Amino acid sequence: MTITSDAGSDLTPQVEMVTVVVDGVAIEIPKGTLVIRAAELLGIEIPRFCDHPLLEPVAACRMCLVDIEGVPKPQPACAQVVSEGMQVRTQLTSPVARDAQEGVMEFLLLNHPLDCPVCDKGGECPLQNQAMTAGRPESRFDEVKRTFPKPINVSAQILLDRERCVSCARCTRFAEQIAGDPMLELLERGANQQVGTAVDQPFDSYFSGNTVQICPVGALTSAAYRFRSRPFDLVSVPTTCEHCASGCSLRTDHRRGTVTRRLAWDEPAVNEEWNCDKGRFAFTYQEQGRVTTPLIREDGQLRVASWPEALDFAARGLSAASSHGVLVGGRSTVEDSYAYARFARVALKTDNIDFRVRDSSDEEAQFLRSAVAGTAVRTTYETLEQAPVVLLIAFEPEDESPIVFLRLRKAARGGTRVYAVGPVATRGLAKLSGTLIPAKPGAEPAVLAELAEQVRAELQAPGAVIMVGERIAGIQGGATAVLQLAQATGAALTWVPRRAGERGALDAGALAGLLPGGRPLTEDSARAAVAAAWGVDSLPATVGLAGAELLAAARDGAIGALITGGVELGDLADQSLGRAGLEAAGFVVALENHHSAITELADVVFPVAVVTEKAGTFMNWEGRPRPFAQTFKDALVMSDAVVLGMLAKAMNIAVGASDVAGIRQELGALGAWTGPRAERPNVPAGPVAEGAHLVATWRALIDNGVMQEGEPYLAATAHLVAATVSATTAGALGNPESVTVTGPLGSVTVPLEIGAVIDGVVCLPLNSPGCVLYRDLGVRSGQAVTIKGAL
Amino acid sequence: MAELPQAVRGFGVTFATIFKKVVTEQYPEQAAKFPPKPRYHGRHQLNRWADGLEKCIGCELCAWACPADAIFVQGADNQEGDRHSPGERYGRVYQINYLRCIFCGLCIEACPTRALTMTNEFELADNNRADLIYEKQDLLTPLLPGMLAPPHEMVPGTTDTDYYANKITGAVPEQAVQVDAEQVAP
Amino acid sequence: MITTGLTPIITEHWDKPDLYTIEGYRRVGGYQGLATAMKMDPDAIIGQIKDSGLRGRGGAGFPTGMKWGFVPQNDGKPHYLVVNADESEPGACKDIPIMLANPHALVEGVIITSYAIRASHAFIYIRGEVPHAIRKVANAVAEARAAGLIGDNILGSGFSLDVVVHSGAGAYICGEETALLDSLEGYRGQPRLKPPFPAVAGLYASPTVINNVETIANIPYILDRGVPWFRQFGTEKSPGFKVFAISGHVVHPGIYEAPLGITMRELLEYAGGIRGGGEVKFWLPGGSSVPMLTAEHLDIPLTYEDMAAAGTMLGTGTPMLFDNTVSVVKAVTRWLDFYKHESCGKCTPCREGTYWITGVLEKFEHGRGTAAEVDTLVNLCSQIAGRSFCALGDAAATPYPAALKYFRAEFEAATSTSADEQFNPVASYVFAEAATR
Repeated sequence: MTITSDAGSDLTPQVEMVTVVVDGVAIEIPKGTLVIRAAELLGIEIPRFCDHPLLEPVAACRMCLVDIEGVPKPQPACAQVVSEGMQVRTQLTSPVARDAQEGVMEFLLLNHPLDCPVCDKGGECPLQNQAMTAGRPESRFDEVKRTFPKPINVSAQILLDRERCVSCARCTRFAEQIAGDPMLELLERGANQQVGTAVDQPFDSYFSGNTVQICPVGALTSAAYRFRSRPFDLVSVPTTCEHCASGCSLRTDHRRGTVTRRLAWDEPAVNEEWNCDKGRFAFTYQEQGRVTTPLIREDGQLRVASWPEALDFAARGLSAASSHGVLVGGRSTVEDSYAYARFARVALKTDNIDFRVRDSSDEEAQFLRSAVAGTAVRTTYETLEQAPVVLLIAFEPEDESPIVFLRLRKAARGGTRVYAVGPVATRGLAKLSGTLIPAKPGAEPAVLAELAEQVRAELQAPGAVIMVGERIAGIQGGATAVLQLAQATGAALTWVPRRAGERGALDAGALAGLLPGGRPLTEDSARAAVAAAWGVDSLPATVGLAGAELLAAARDGAIGALITGGVELGDLADQSLGRAGLEAAGFVVALENHHSAITELADVVFPVAVVTEKAGTFMNWEGRPRPFAQTFKDALVMSDAVVLGMLAKAMNIAVGASDVAGIRQELGALGAWTGPRAERPNVPAGPVAEGAHLVATWRALIDNGVMQEGEPYLAATAHLVAATVSATTAGALGNPESVTVTGPLGSVTVPLEIGAVIDGVVCLPLNSPGCVLYRDLGVRSGQAVTIKGAL
Repeated sequence: MAELPQAVRGFGVTFATIFKKVVTEQYPEQAAKFPPKPRYHGRHQLNRWADGLEKCIGCELCAWACPADAIFVQGADNQEGDRHSPGERYGRVYQINYLRCIFCGLCIEACPTRALTMTNEFELADNNRADLIYEKQDLLTPLLPGMLAPPHEMVPGTTDTDYYANKITGAVPEQAVQVDAEQVAP
Repeated sequence: MITTGLTPIITEHWDKPDLYTIEGYRRVGGYQGLATAMKMDPDAIIGQIKDSGLRGRGGAGFPTGMKWGFVPQNDGKPHYLVVNADESEPGACKDIPIMLANPHALVEGVIITSYAIRASHAFIYIRGEVPHAIRKVANAVAEARAAGLIGDNILGSGFSLDVVVHSGAGAYICGEETALLDSLEGYRGQPRLKPPFPAVAGLYASPTVINNVETIANIPYILDRGVPWFRQFGTEKSPGFKVFAISGHVVHPGIYEAPLGITMRELLEYAGGIRGGGEVKFWLPGGSSVPMLTAEHLDIPLTYEDMAAAGTMLGTGTPMLFDNTVSVVKAVTRWLDFYKHESCGKCTPCREGTYWITGVLEKFEHGRGTAAEVDTLVNLCSQIAGRSFCALGDAAATPYPAALKYFRAEFEAATSTSADEQFNPVASYVFAEAATR
């Protein structure tokens, strides 16, 4: 779990340095730096609105005008590049610069409404602040201000107050340059210039919330936060996003015990200053449908119980069973996953544990044990940005790891070539200027084996990256083929899971056959070391059951007791198996924060904390630990690790530390594994399904996910739910407006869209409103469905 | 005048006062005879527009201005069919803690819609703490003739700007229909 | 050096009814410059234009040959020529008559220039409000293409060129060269950040030369008749001749082609003097964006350098003259209203400044200004000039300070008396009866 930075040293380019003087202070900085950055380095703050370090300069607001010796007119510091010997005088030393800035500020305030008392930005508003520092105390403006109706929706979530806008174009530049969703543009001219969208084309970008954050005035506000609070009322805590494996730094603001908003926090190595709308707005689930007390099942009914009673009940049930299994949802922190892994081996003396409560395979487990768990960090956001070529397999970054998408887009704008193997050239791939290597769902291994020589040669370049998503589990022979390709080309192979906890759970050993730090269970030395650390004589030596096998064993009555932690049954492709397994298991202990299908089936339910109520660590796809602190310091809800510790105590078994600091210490003492690794998978490619229409599917970023509940504005910005097919396929269907797609369990009717999909494939969202494939159709990616034009 | 003994001289004030007008106010027996001055800072009230919609927009500026931290406000969005004030927001929860209030009137100055003003009512005593936290229903002014109890829509054809410009003169029949419908509905 | 008299060159044959056709143009010696040019080395053409001292006729007066010389050669990128025919400066009316009467001079110039700067694509960006000019130029391009002067392997030289006539959508800002490029690329017309300059990264991020119509129309004559012939006109620093479009209260407003260095007084004589024998109150040498002058400046030669010395600019070389019936307050208000309407909105000083100044000036026009505002306006103009993104802001900040310099009393009077009370508006109409003056 350490970051190795060996790749960084030789990538640092030689830079030419120049000396400039700002306000009489000389500084040596790289050539090509902007004057405003040079001044920042000296601690001289030049007021600005349109300038943003991650956006291209535009020099539109003219607030940063400075005096440069030898130049007759004041120049914008945000667009002026330094040159050797340049003498810059800012507002601190130059009356010209001061006068220019005061003049611009007076102009900016002309048409700005006096909304400050009721404006969301008031208190953290650059215009407000800079009006105080760089403006004149009184305006000479005596005319009538321009007014607009306000607010207007640029999307369901983003509201625009045009009166407040200072036309800095930060939002429009973000949309175009960073997100690649140029639906936001400046319209009209002169004093009537305004931000807007095309008619009937709202700003439904996955990254729209960032525009609210970078707006230097209160012109853009979010429906979710509008008028909810004032910045000075809020308590801010730095946190990590719990949604996907990107691992964004966030700032969580709360008030009166409620989270009011979340902002992207500055983390140059990970998310820069951006995050996705899901990470920003999807936090209301934390307060909805919570389990608040322990529950135990009595006469078939769950009833409220005290903690001692419930712990005793659970301990007796677990002790009575002869065989056990542990299912850890992919949302646990590293510490909680480690506690589950330890509890299974020490308290339950079993290796039947899996964090992959989703579509999974044995091949995937082998792939993760051999090539991912506990490996040193090789690919990071930074190396991704500098990679000459990136190959994506079973991975749609815009939906499945949006910050990876943003970094890939930055890379692609800088010249990185992106290839994607799959059946669809997605909207995201188009924004990456990427190339599709067509493969029918299920045919990916064959396509990888016969990859074009030119792509293969490109992948041999130093720094080349292969990114594989969690959907590789659903492709027989996929992981094998990817490993072979990586070995043959020398490209760095990276596994990008979708859920925030998966990578951490893997490294914590929450997978059968795997001990913490990537130690193979089958290695005697590894087992002995971990047993010593855990203070037990021995650990189970045979690799336990995982994935579907574990559930099947439970269904067949072979598992006496199951512990589940944060499991969503709807995530399973075969939902009847999951339900049958839980029903057949003799005793089910559920550690859940929400009432769900699992709590309905459990014999004991313990309430556990959501991310705001505990500290912990998520490990992102890079393998980078992303620790976070407890947001609500006085929350009385316990984490999974603490509950498991109490449960072990009730069973009279010592399992070691269950607080965050203690677990981190234990994990740190175990250290990295340098011994032999588990065997690589060697599974031949499976057959491509027969049928006229094969399903290609993945989860949209904004969909029916349980962690997006209670946020209607976010849900309204989801992309259109539709069946996407090629023009040929659509033609064969008779180009209907909508189609009925039928699978073994039923059918759904959705609009038909024509897109860059290969013939004979239909692309459907996996879990979106009106189209829940596992539940409604009973199909997974690569299986055949029948399609008919809907009446 | 010849020198009188000190003790007798002292009674001079007493005797003189006997014949002066009495300044003691007989409170509470004759309270009505001595009303407070018109600008006396008494209990707050939450005002209404002429059609009965509330003036409070839930902006919390009063709570911010309060030096004694006596005011608690929680705003909410006006919804279709559930409108309490013109414009986007209304004060869903409004509490003033009269154990804390120092009647300084800063909240009144902060209020952007003149929703909060002070009455002359000063008889704020009680025998328990809880009852001295006044809720919104305690603070809202009673409905005057021509007003209708919210929720109801704005006067048809008007916007919130018309309300702020004081162009609303009273509730209209269309609004009355809405209120009646709500009362009839279960 | 000839600096006096009328010297019709571009306008020489404007009386021929078929000059706009290729036959008509050829009959008067057209396309000979092209024939000469195609036998020359492109660098030699650039050298010749440099030697001629031709300066841009669009307003800034930048030496044309030098502009062409900035285009990097052998950089492997396509080069582009863009002709700025978005003539929309108030008072300027010279490019549109050239395109209407003599479009082939422009087309010929385009072909020669493209050859010189090695551009295989040229664009003529014409203001959208003048469809008749667009039709004339488009027709001229079609004729030239039919005659093999545009297309592949022109005149057997191996040089190929395509010319596109593009119509603007009516924005003054698109006369600013980088905004024109944005507009041409299909974006909103707003000026771009410089550097990079268009000569390095212009249209589609490739080296681009942007020239005014009149500048390009000069090229064939220089190639045909030579540098010494060209330099005999005008002055050392401002060689050549100029199409002066005189407007305002003169007896015969219109196009007068004369050498640079001619005085306004002489041009005024050709135009028949001020109507009714009146006096010049104030005049602008080239469009509303240059500071105004008064009768005392009529003897200053109309050259780039002499105009600069007098505190103004030659600009587009389209003098506007106003007689004593005109209210300066009203004139300045109209101009500022124009700039407010045309400000693109990109930068703060121009967007907000024009909005504010116009509001104040309208008060003056109605006699409601205050004495303090007379000076506030000067300050506001100084807050815009030199601080805006492009020259539109500078132009908007020009009329008021210049007007105040000569006519302060009129603005001070406007604090109590409206412009219409000071000057009967009817008297300033062109068709006003002499009696009302």
